[in-house]
Amino acid sequence: MVGYTIRRLLYIIPTILGVAVIIFVLFNVAGEDPVRIALGQHATPQAIADLEAQWGLDQPLWKQFLDFLRQIVTFDYGASYFTGERLGEAFASGALVSLSLTLPPFVLGLVINIVIAMLIAYYRGTWFDRFSTAIAVISMSVSYLVYIIAMQYFLAYELEWFPINGYAPGWDAIPYLALPWLIIIVVSIGPDVRIYRTIFLNEMQANYVRTARAKGVSERGVLFTHILKNAMIPVLTFTIVAVPFLILGMFLMERFFSIPGIGDLMISAINNGDLPVLKGMTMYITITYALFNLITDLLIAAVDPRVKLH
Amino acid sequence: MAVKKISIWQKAPQVVLSALLITTAAVPLGCQPRQGAGDTGVKVLDTFRASVYRSLDPPKQFDVASARIISNIYDPLLEYHYLKRPYELVPNLLETLPELGEDKLTYTFKLRKGIKFHDDPCFPDGKGRELNADDVIYTLKRFADVNVNPQSYPALLENRIKGLDEFREKTRQQKDLDYDQENVSGIEKVDSHTFKIVMTEPDPLLLMSFATSPLSIVPKEAVEKYGRKLEHHGVGTGPYILDKNPRKGVMVLKKNPNYHGTYPTEGEPDDQSQGLLEDAGEKLPLIDEIRLPLIEEAQPRMLKFLKGELDSIGIDRDNFSKMAEKVGEKFQLKGEFAGKFNIASANDLTSFYITINFRDKTFGQNKAVRQALAYALDTPTYIEKMDNGRGHALNTIVPLPIAGSEETIPVKWYSHDPTKAKAKLKEAGYPEGKGLPPITILYPSQDKITKQNHEFLRNQLAQSGFQLKGEFLNFSEFLQRKEGGSFQLSNSGWGADYPDAENFYQLFYGPNKAPGPNAGSYQNPEYDRLYEQMRRMSPGAERNTIIEKMALILKEDVPIVFLRAPISVGMRQKWLLNSKPNLMLGSTSKFLDIDTEAKARGLK
Repeated sequence: MVGYTIRRLLYIIPTILGVAVIIFVLFNVAGEDPVRIALGQHATPQAIADLEAQWGLDQPLWKQFLDFLRQIVTFDYGASYFTGERLGEAFASGALVSLSLTLPPFVLGLVINIVIAMLIAYYRGTWFDRFSTAIAVISMSVSYLVYIIAMQYFLAYELEWFPINGYAPGWDAIPYLALPWLIIIVVSIGPDVRIYRTIFLNEMQANYVRTARAKGVSERGVLFTHILKNAMIPVLTFTIVAVPFLILGMFLMERFFSIPGIGDLMISAINNGDLPVLKGMTMYITITYALFNLITDLLIAAVDPRVKLH
Repeated sequence: MAVKKISIWQKAPQVVLSALLITTAAVPLGCQPRQGAGDTGVKVLDTFRASVYRSLDPPKQFDVASARIISNIYDPLLEYHYLKRPYELVPNLLETLPELGEDKLTYTFKLRKGIKFHDDPCFPDGKGRELNADDVIYTLKRFADVNVNPQSYPALLENRIKGLDEFREKTRQQKDLDYDQENVSGIEKVDSHTFKIVMTEPDPLLLMSFATSPLSIVPKEAVEKYGRKLEHHGVGTGPYILDKNPRKGVMVLKKNPNYHGTYPTEGEPDDQSQGLLEDAGEKLPLIDEIRLPLIEEAQPRMLKFLKGELDSIGIDRDNFSKMAEKVGEKFQLKGEFAGKFNIASANDLTSFYITINFRDKTFGQNKAVRQALAYALDTPTYIEKMDNGRGHALNTIVPLPIAGSEETIPVKWYSHDPTKAKAKLKEAGYPEGKGLPPITILYPSQDKITKQNHEFLRNQLAQSGFQLKGEFLNFSEFLQRKEGGSFQLSNSGWGADYPDAENFYQLFYGPNKAPGPNAGSYQNPEYDRLYEQMRRMSPGAERNTIIEKMALILKEDVPIVFLRAPISVGMRQKWLLNSKPNLMLGSTSKFLDIDTEAKARGLK
C-alpha cells in the first residue's frame, strides 16, 4: 500500500509536466495576447515593448517555460497582470467562500439523490420509475442558466423568499447562500439520480443479491447491507473526483448572486490572457485532481477487498 | 418480481421534500433586511460595480471600472463642468484655468491653498497634509515613468511637454530612478503652490490631459509606504475616502469632510427648471456614503433596482422594449415604470463605424465602390431594429456632445438609397454586383449580438449587390489583423479621449496610418494639411470652417461608413437628486443627493 502510494505520487510528476507543456503552448504561444488586451487599440510599438518587458514576455520562449517550471516548484505564480493580486491572496479571500457555496449542497445533494435513486430502483418498472426518469431527463434538458434566471426571478424577486443577491461574512451568509444551494441541488437531481439509479439497478441484478434473497435476507437488509455498500464504490468514484472542483466555486452562480468566491478567476483569466492566474489555477486543478484520483483508488481498495493495488 | 413494501419508503417522498426544506429553513423567508434601508439621517448612494477594477493607482489604471473609483478618491488638476454642454474645462485643484504665456508654449498653474490629502497612516501622525506643487511635479514624473505606466503616457503626454519624453527614456534605462535628482526642463516649480509647464509646440488640447483620472495627484508618501498595495488602496484629495475594499464584495466609500469642491452655480438653460441647481454653491460631496457591491449580471441588477435596492441603472437591449420607448427624439418610460422611476438619457462620446482598408485592391483604389457601400447602408433602420432606437445616425465622425460635431458643422452624410448604390457599383465596374468578389468584415467578438448585427448588415448590403462575409475574432487577434492591414472592412469604434473634434479627425490623418489609429491607412494630402492647421487652433468659427472642409473631404472619399453614435438610456429612483449624465467625469457621485425620507419610504 505504501509503495503503491509513493509510486502513484511519482506518476503525478510526468502528468504535471505534460499539462505544463500544453498550458504553455496554449496560452504563451497560441492564446490571447495579454499585452494587446491590456493596451487596447492603437497601442504604440514602444508601449507594447514596455509592457512585454514588465511582464517578462520579451524573454525567449524557452526561458519563459523554465520560469514556469520554477513557479510550479515554488508554488509562486506571481501577481495577476490585471489586478496585481497574487493567486495566494485570491485563494485566501475567496476559496472558503466558494467552498461555502458548493460544499453544503454537494453533501446534501448526494444524500438526497442517492435516496431518490434507491427509491426509483426499488420501484423499477412501475409508473413511479418511468415518471421519475422522465422528469430527470426533462430537468437535464434545461440549461443551468435557465434554472438560475428563473429561480432568482420567481423565488427572490416575485415571492421575496430570498435576497436577490449579495453576501455577508460568517453565519450571516446563510440567507444569501440558501437560494444558490437550492438551485445547485435542484440542478443536480436530474443527472445524478439517473447515474445512481443505473448503478443501483446493476447491483440489484448481481448474483450475490439473488443469493442473499435466497438465504432469506429481508428486502431492507438486501438493500442496505448488500446493494448500498457495493453501489457506493462507483458512487464514491463519481463523487470524489468532483471534490477538487468544489473549491473553484461556480462561475455563473457566483456572478448572479454576487458571491465573492473564486469561480470567476479562471474565466476572466482566460478572457484576458492573464497568464499568472491561468497557470496557477490550471496547476492547482491538475495536482488536486491527480491527488484525489489516488485517494479514490485507495478508498476503493479499502471498501472492496477484491481490489488489489499494484 | 414483486417487491415487499417497506414503510420507510412509503414516507420517502416526504423525507426528501423535508430535506430540501431544511436546506432553506435557515432563511427567515420574506423578511430580508433591504440593502439601503436604515437610518434616514445618513445619505447612502446604493450603486454597483459591473466589473472588478484593475488598479486604484491612477497611472496604472486603464479601464472604466478603475477610473470610476479613482475619480471618487483622487483629484485631477482640472475637470469638466458638471452641467454645461458641450463639455467645458473648469479648474478643480487650481484657482483658475492655467494661463498661457506670450510665447504660446508656457502654462502657469496656480494650486488652491488649503487642499488636504485624506488622513492616512502614510503621513506623520496619520493626518493628511496640504497639497503643494511638489506633489504635482512628482505625479507628472511618476506618470512618465515607464516602469509605473507603460500604458497611458503615449496617448496623454507623449511629445507634448519639454524634457518629459527624455525623462521617460531615462526610466527605461534605470529602473529605480530618483525623481528628485532628475530635472525635467518643461516642468518648473515657481513656489509652493505655483508651477509652470512648457510645451514642445503650441497645443490647445494639452489641458484636457490634466482632466483625466490617470493624471490624478498622488502623494509621494503613499507610494513609498504602500508600493504595489496602492493598487488596492487610495490616498488622494478626492470627495470620498476608501473605507472597505473587498476583492469582490461591497466596496464602501465614505465622505471626505475636508473636500474642497462646491456645487456649480450655473448650467444649461433647462437645468434650473429640472431642479439641477437646487444645491448651487453647496459644499461637496452631498452624500455621506457610497456602497458599491459587485453585480456582474444584468438580471440581478435590474431586479434590485426594481426593488429599490439600487438608485440608478442602465436599460439594456433586452429590457428596453418592455420598459421604455422612443417618442420623436426623446425617450420615455412605459406603463408601470413611468410613474415609479425617472428616465435619463445621454449621447455617448463614441462613434461606431466600418473602417475601409485603403490597402485592399477592391476598395482602396475604387472610390465608387466605397460610395456604393455608403449608399447601401440604412443606418437609421439599423439603429431602430438592432438598438431599439438608442443611437444617433452620424453625419460626421464627431459625436453630438463634443465641440465640432454636426451641431456646428453643416454636413450631411449619405442617405440610404439602393438605386444610387447600384448606380455607383455600375460606375465602379460591377453592374448589379457582378464580378464583385465577396467582401469580408472583421469583428472583435464572437458574441450573439455581434452576429445578429452582422446578419442585418449582410442582408441589407445584399439588396445593393454586395456579398458580405463576417469573420469573428478574439480581441487580440482582431487588433493584430487590423494593425497588420490584412482586412477589407472592419467593425470599429472610437471613444473620446478628450471632448474635442480633433480626437476623432486624427483617425484619418496620414501619418497615423496602421498600426496607428488611422487603421484604414487613408491618405489625402489636402486633408492632412487642414488637420495640421486645425489641431493648433482654439475652438471657434474659424476652426469650424476648417473642420467642415475636412468633413466634406471624408464624405467624398468615404474612408469609413458610419453605423451609429450610441445613446445611453437609464432609470433613476425618484429619490436620487441632481442626476445629470456627464460622460467626461469618471464619477458624478459628489454632485448627487438623496431624499432620504423618500428613499426610506420606497424601501418599506
